[in-house]
Order: sequence, then C-alpha cells, then structure tokens
Amino acid sequence: MNKSTMHITLLGTSLLLAGTLLLQGCAAPQPAPDLLAPTEAQMKIRSLQTRTFDLTDRNAAIRGVIASLQDLGFIIERANEGLGLVTAARFAEPNYYDVVTITVTVRQETADKMSFRANAIYNNKPIEDPKVYQNFFAALQRALFLSQETTPSS
Amino acid sequence: MVGKSRPFAPILALALLSGCVTHTEPAELFALTPDIPKNRAMQTRMFETPNERELLSASAAVLQDLGFQVEESQREVGFLRATKERSAREYGQYVRQVLVLIFSLGKLMQPVDLHQKIAASLISRPLNPEATRQEVRIMFYRVVWKGDGQVDNQYIPPGEQYMEMIRDPEIYQQFFAKLSKAVFLEAHRI
Repeated sequence: MNKSTMHITLLGTSLLLAGTLLLQGCAAPQPAPDLLAPTEAQMKIRSLQTRTFDLTDRNAAIRGVIASLQDLGFIIERANEGLGLVTAARFAEPNYYDVVTITVTVRQETADKMSFRANAIYNNKPIEDPKVYQNFFAALQRALFLSQETTPSS
Repeated sequence: MVGKSRPFAPILALALLSGCVTHTEPAELFALTPDIPKNRAMQTRMFETPNERELLSASAAVLQDLGFQVEESQREVGFLRATKERSAREYGQYVRQVLVLIFSLGKLMQPVDLHQKIAASLISRPLNPEATRQEVRIMFYRVVWKGDGQVDNQYIPPGEQYMEMIRDPEIYQQFFAKLSKAVFLEAHRI
C-alpha cells in the first residue's frame, strides 16, 4: 500500500519533470525586446540612404531612378508607379555568383521636394558602406539633371 | 635547386587559384565605369513616336514573337520583364566532356550546361517634355543550370547554376530590328 503510493508520487514527479523539460524544449528563444527599436547605427545608415532633391514631377523622378540604375548596369526587376518603388539587381562582375540588389523608394515630401531612399544588399547582407550610397546618388543626380535639362525651365 | 623549389609549387597553385575568385567591392559596382556608354549604346534605341504605350505593347509583342513570356509590366513607368526557358545543351560541350573523360583516364567528367532561363528587362521613356521621342532600353541576361559530373570518386550533383549578362551586340540588333519593323507596321495599320 505504502509502496504503491510512493510509486505514484515518484511517477508523478518524473512526469512533471519530463513535462517541464518538454515545455522548455518547445519554448523558442525570446527575441531581444529592442529588436525593432531604432539604434543609432540605423539612424546613421538611414541618413546615408536618404537624399532629397528639388523636383515636382513624381513620375519623372521614378523614371530618373530607373535610368540611373540602368546606367549603372542594373537590371530592373520590379517597378511600381503607385508606390514609387523600384527594385533592381546586378551581378558583382566579373564574377557572376554574387548579386547586388537595390530598392529605391520615391516619396513626395512637399510640393517641390522629392525624397529618395535607397537600400542596397550584397548577396543577403545589407551594405553599410557610405561610398556605395554616395556613388548611387551621384548617378541619380546625373540622370535627373540630364533629364531635367531637356525639360523647359518653366 | 629544382628539389628546393618544389615545395613552393602547391603554394603557387593555391595563390593562382585564389586569384581566380575576385570579389568586387560594392562601391565599385555603383560607380560609373568607362564601359557604361558602350553598353548603353548597344542596349538603347530611340523612336520618333509620341505614343509610348504603343511602343511598349509592340515591345511586348516582339518579345512574345521571340518566345518570351511577359512576367511583369508597369505601363506608368514603361516597364516590361519577360523570360523564356530553353535547353542550354551544346554539342561542343559534350565533345569536350568526352575528350576530358578520355584524357583524364575516366577520372574527370565535367558537368555540361543543361537548362537555361533567358530574361529580358525593358524600359521605355520619353526623351523630351513634349514626349515626341521615346527611348527603349533592353537588357538580356541568363541563368544556366548544369548537369551532373564526377571528379575521381566524388560525384557532382546536378543543379549547379551560374548567371551571366548577355553582351552579344547581335542579339540586341535583332531585337531592335524586329521592334522597329513592328512599330512601322503598326503605325501603318492604324
């Protein structure tokens, strides 16, 4: 009688232990609470990735982005006029195994100010080199300026 | 003298091998290089037409004629993307595979190209504010999948892939010849 109660208690304890262990195994590692919080580095990279130009025509701005990316040898993969979104990619020539992808969004800030935001990725790693964005915006400015030159100065 | 220099051979070979894999700095890929105008000239044509929409649909028709499937289109920014999948088998590669197999005494069987996906990305845009002149720019590239092979006792599974830009001017000339013909015909049909 006494022996069987002990057996039951022992069984209960072991079951409880196994249960907790199983539960522990199921629990996914908790993401850090500040995973989505902006860090200083992110703010810095965002300022690198964003540039504002004095422009009024949104469509022309998007076409300018496409033209500049094409000039840089990028293949346009996706373009959405409604959202002002352009995604393009190119191979890291001369090797064709690495791919650089860039997404540019165009947003009208005020009536005569257009903001451009570019995110570039090398394979699957975000590019944080300021030079990359400087070069891109130089090409963009060139494309916008060249297409602007042909528009009348009204 | 000869015996002494021998240990350096594998090091030299390694150095040569590592020299083959060059990694381009991302910043270089965003810089305007001298070959950009050349590519641009090859990939771009100008058309004296105010009708961008017609030009875009003619481009889609030409791509269809060439066996492409249009995968994405955005009329507002004059964008088309089309692909076609074809066999990438080449006679020469099979001959080379057999020759290498014989000369390596059956130890090396090089994988050959089996399948390819050719993609085209096309953009049209007005060149002047009155939009009486339009520019069409197209880029072709392809992804190739390889078959299986064997090195000594090591089996190389199929499916290895590589990508490349198509930089053959003739392909671009062919496309634009067809497009100008299509625009001409359609202009007359209206």
